[in-house]
Amino acid sequence: MTNTTDNPILELDAIDTFYGPVQAHFGLSLHVGKGEIVSLLGGNASGKSTTMKIILGLVKPAAGDVRVDGVSTLKLKTPEIVRLGVGTVPEARRLFGAMSVRENLLMGAFIRNDKDGIAADLERVLTLFPRVGQRLNQQAGTLSGGEQQMVAMARALMGRPRVVIMDEPTMGLSPLWVERVLELIRDINGQGVAIFMVEQNASLALQIAHRGYVLQTGRIVLEGKAADLLVDTRIRDAYLGGAEAA
Amino acid sequence: MTSWFDHTINGLIIGNIYGLLAVGLALIFGVSRLINFAHGSVYVVGAYVGWVAVSVLQTPFPVTLVLVVALTAALGIVIERFGIRPLADAPRIAPLLATIGLSFVLDQTVQILFSPDPRSVPMQVPNWRIEIGGGSIGLLDLLIGGIGITAAASLFAFLKLTKWGWAVRATALDRDAARAMGVDVDKVNRIVFAIASALGGVGGVLVGMYYNVITPTMGFEATLKGIVAEVVGGVGNVPGAIVGSLLLGLVESYGVALLGTSYRNLFAFVLLIAILVLRPNGLFASHRQLPPEPMTGTFVAPSKPVRLPVPLVAAAAALAIALPFLTENGYLIQTLTNAWLYALLGLSLTLVAGTSGQVSLGHAALLAIGGYTSALLAFNLNWPVWLTLLIGGFAAAGIGTLLVSPAFRLRGHYVSIATLGIGEIVALVILNWESVTRGPIGVAGIPPLSLFGYDLYDTNAIYWFAFALMAALALLQVRLLGSHLGRTLRAVRDDDVAARSFGIGLKRYKGLAFAFGGFFAGISGAFTAHMYSFINHETFNTQISVLALTIAILGGMGNVGGAILGSVALIGLPEIFRVAAEYRILLYGIALLLLVRFRPQGLLGTV
Amino acid sequence: MTASFPLPTTEAPRPLLEARGLVRRFGGLTAVGGVDLSISQGELVSVIGPNGAGKTTAFNLISGLDRPDEGSIRFDDIDITGRSPEAVHAAGLSRTFQHGRVFANLSVADNVLVGAHRRLKAVKPAWPIIGPVAELALALIRPPSVKAEEAALREEVREILAIFGERLLPRIDQPAYSLSYANRRRVEIARALASRPKLLLLDEPTAGMNQTETAEMLEIIADLKARGQTILLIEHKLDMVMRLSDRVIVLDDGKKIAEGAPLVVRNDPAVIEAYLGHGGVGAAADPAAPAGPASDQPVRLSA
Repeated sequence: MTNTTDNPILELDAIDTFYGPVQAHFGLSLHVGKGEIVSLLGGNASGKSTTMKIILGLVKPAAGDVRVDGVSTLKLKTPEIVRLGVGTVPEARRLFGAMSVRENLLMGAFIRNDKDGIAADLERVLTLFPRVGQRLNQQAGTLSGGEQQMVAMARALMGRPRVVIMDEPTMGLSPLWVERVLELIRDINGQGVAIFMVEQNASLALQIAHRGYVLQTGRIVLEGKAADLLVDTRIRDAYLGGAEAA
Repeated sequence: MTSWFDHTINGLIIGNIYGLLAVGLALIFGVSRLINFAHGSVYVVGAYVGWVAVSVLQTPFPVTLVLVVALTAALGIVIERFGIRPLADAPRIAPLLATIGLSFVLDQTVQILFSPDPRSVPMQVPNWRIEIGGGSIGLLDLLIGGIGITAAASLFAFLKLTKWGWAVRATALDRDAARAMGVDVDKVNRIVFAIASALGGVGGVLVGMYYNVITPTMGFEATLKGIVAEVVGGVGNVPGAIVGSLLLGLVESYGVALLGTSYRNLFAFVLLIAILVLRPNGLFASHRQLPPEPMTGTFVAPSKPVRLPVPLVAAAAALAIALPFLTENGYLIQTLTNAWLYALLGLSLTLVAGTSGQVSLGHAALLAIGGYTSALLAFNLNWPVWLTLLIGGFAAAGIGTLLVSPAFRLRGHYVSIATLGIGEIVALVILNWESVTRGPIGVAGIPPLSLFGYDLYDTNAIYWFAFALMAALALLQVRLLGSHLGRTLRAVRDDDVAARSFGIGLKRYKGLAFAFGGFFAGISGAFTAHMYSFINHETFNTQISVLALTIAILGGMGNVGGAILGSVALIGLPEIFRVAAEYRILLYGIALLLLVRFRPQGLLGTV
Repeated sequence: MTASFPLPTTEAPRPLLEARGLVRRFGGLTAVGGVDLSISQGELVSVIGPNGAGKTTAFNLISGLDRPDEGSIRFDDIDITGRSPEAVHAAGLSRTFQHGRVFANLSVADNVLVGAHRRLKAVKPAWPIIGPVAELALALIRPPSVKAEEAALREEVREILAIFGERLLPRIDQPAYSLSYANRRRVEIARALASRPKLLLLDEPTAGMNQTETAEMLEIIADLKARGQTILLIEHKLDMVMRLSDRVIVLDDGKKIAEGAPLVVRNDPAVIEAYLGHGGVGAAADPAAPAGPASDQPVRLSA
């Protein structure tokens, strides 16, 4: 595999992962360049969620290396990896349901101590997500799915990440919200933040991505430019997008 | 006669102290999904630190308080770091068992250091009382109330207004999401254990001053009361824990006023069972939810069980039978007789907790039911002992299963709490039902064991009888495990949702497991009663329940041979080495801690 | 016993399952918002839709694991709304689970035998106390009839496992926790088949399987269908759905947005718009159809 970016913000190098006797990754390698949007495509149980856990250090691989901007994270704990500039939009949002929207956003800035900066970023994020601003004092769990997704993205931005990893950001959303979320992902990327998103729906993911990887039973089976993948017959015949979207 | 006003004040003060415990339990449950059975022990440590400060160092009250807070907070941090954190990836019941082990260790250490005798804590507050209506409030009452309110307000401010307070709440709501935000959840746990332990320690000092007496054994009851209050308020719900505590304090205070002191705990446990059955999410749970997943998970580490070769088992059995001919040491024979009786209890629990996944903490109650039934039938009605033994077994099976049946819909920790509560209720009923059980005096002069009309006084004869019973029932259990019921019970244990989806009704099969196991335990209790010729409500206490669980875990959960081996190891070895009683309990605690941490599959492996 | 394990014989189609107006809310989210769903004897109906569309929640409502906030479910002419999973299973419904819920410490054979639990004679008596005691007695005494029944079932387990070729048979005595993800899914299907269900609910049976394994599973499901098994299927691999289904139901955001024959659903504009997003590989499964507006540049979405 050739590395097209000089210094990838995120890099997984020949990862093997095991859950007990069962192997979840087989020599998984991928990278995300600075300012890039990269999609990881794959069906349920293809190993996507484990990939997210590996990046965040919630699961440690049996072999291989994970690097954030050239720094190996294998020996780091999750908070330290987050401090390197990794923001997260977890699968199914995972907001802190019983906390207010404001508290959720401030939790996103947990690793920061610059009070003024946080306040300024809160303003900035609320300009990007005006709808969130109207609900600052509401309990996050009472929001609709789309609104929760907004809060989850806003929360991720509050940590001033250099790369945001997103696990199925459009999951469970109505078509209108899906469009809005995709547009926001592009807006976030427009501000120089790299995006690594796991998606099941290839057509959606590749629309906004620069590059893509196809993950199947723990292996990368296909990779390339999003535009190429969109028309690649192997995707059509294969496992997800094509099969999924039909 | 004391006025209702006084009972109300008394109830609120007691509730306040329960609250200091329950809030800590709720906080810990929130972030660790753990019911901390060592919490009452920290409260004991707090009380004794207070005693040392006041009586030995002669510190003024504020300094006493600061000392207690500092030392118990430090203890909390140590417990979290060395007792709980290493078990982060273990089944959820593992840290719970570890805290039980810790509580044994802490309680016994306090007992060894300060002797089991009660101590009085000199009151550091002038005994002023304000007369109101028909009753009065003392300065100490106001102080305790004030400390309770201050603690609650500070805690609320911490949780609502500070960054680490948010982190605590976020971790409680979604641990992984909090980590993804960069929260160091280990630090959150540490903070929470420190706060909870400090609150518990303060509770210990205050209760010492309020009742003017402390003992090393008061911790267990405190843990139970805190748990009851927490369950009433909704497990993990901090404001709920406060309300639950005050409610519990009032219920107890009014109950004692109506019926007498010995009924105090009965109210607490009946309230516990009622809440668990009717509103398992607490009084304040608003809407219907799917059962919370973190409560699942049984203590069965995947392992390849050791297959004992038949010749080896036969040889061991032959040796056991021949032993009385090989040794003149009557003490050894008596010790092993005891081990066979504990093995029966271990077999019972390894089936209930290991094979069917219901980690029972009230198994001693089954011994008590069997023991009392057999003793009373033989003593009052002169029925032959072989028959009363059998009836004792069936009574434990029937009554035990009936009593536990409301808990069959519960899972994980809730089962442990419910069985613990039911066990306490049985003990309290025995204590209070004097017309039948003779209450605290107990039953003395129980007829000796007899077989075919011959009384067994001979040590060796009793030994053989115990061994034969144990061996026969062990074989019966092996046969059960080899039948379709074996796989059915294990299926219930491994995944009750999937099991129900294949038509396996939980009531029927959990009931079968309890009844089968209850029979074993009942026989064991009955045998013990006739062997000792005396029992009372304390003969079969909670320590025995925990010991039984340790035996089952040591042998390997669900493992028949393991239960016997575990019993010989835990009952036989300390006797043979003549370990003093208080160190023995310490040893059991340490054994439980080490097993959970390093060898959850036990000696012979789980089945 | 014949080589193939018995399945319900095919009769004239009649409604077997009928769910009306199912609603389930979690907090601020409506996971299922008024879904109707029915399936007739011998039919294979697929439920498709993106993750989070409410498919699994709907399955949970039908199989009794969760109770609907509104709506009713009838199965085989009895009302099973809000009934327990045991009762729903007794009515003749067996399911698999999306994330694989095998009994981890049980062997493959025992897992499948649990599927046949309700068929055991010892299990039949439902009277309180007497029933369980009789069951216990039969288990301990094990008269010849019980032994014969167990032996026959073990033989049947081998036959069921044989439909997965050599995937499971060599591992028949291994504990389920040692199996690969794909094999756990197969064990779940085998377990469900051992109960001889009137209706089989399969929740993404090919999740975590590669192309070869998926093709294999497709053949197995097609074979079950050919033998008259009624199947309700959740599946993401549309290729498979198109080839197997008599009827397809499309869920999105908790609502049914389309229903009909596979071809009709695939060409339904609402489905294309909602489920497939903006074209992209929307037509991918059918290379003959005109390609969607896939462009070299990321599509600019307008609000």
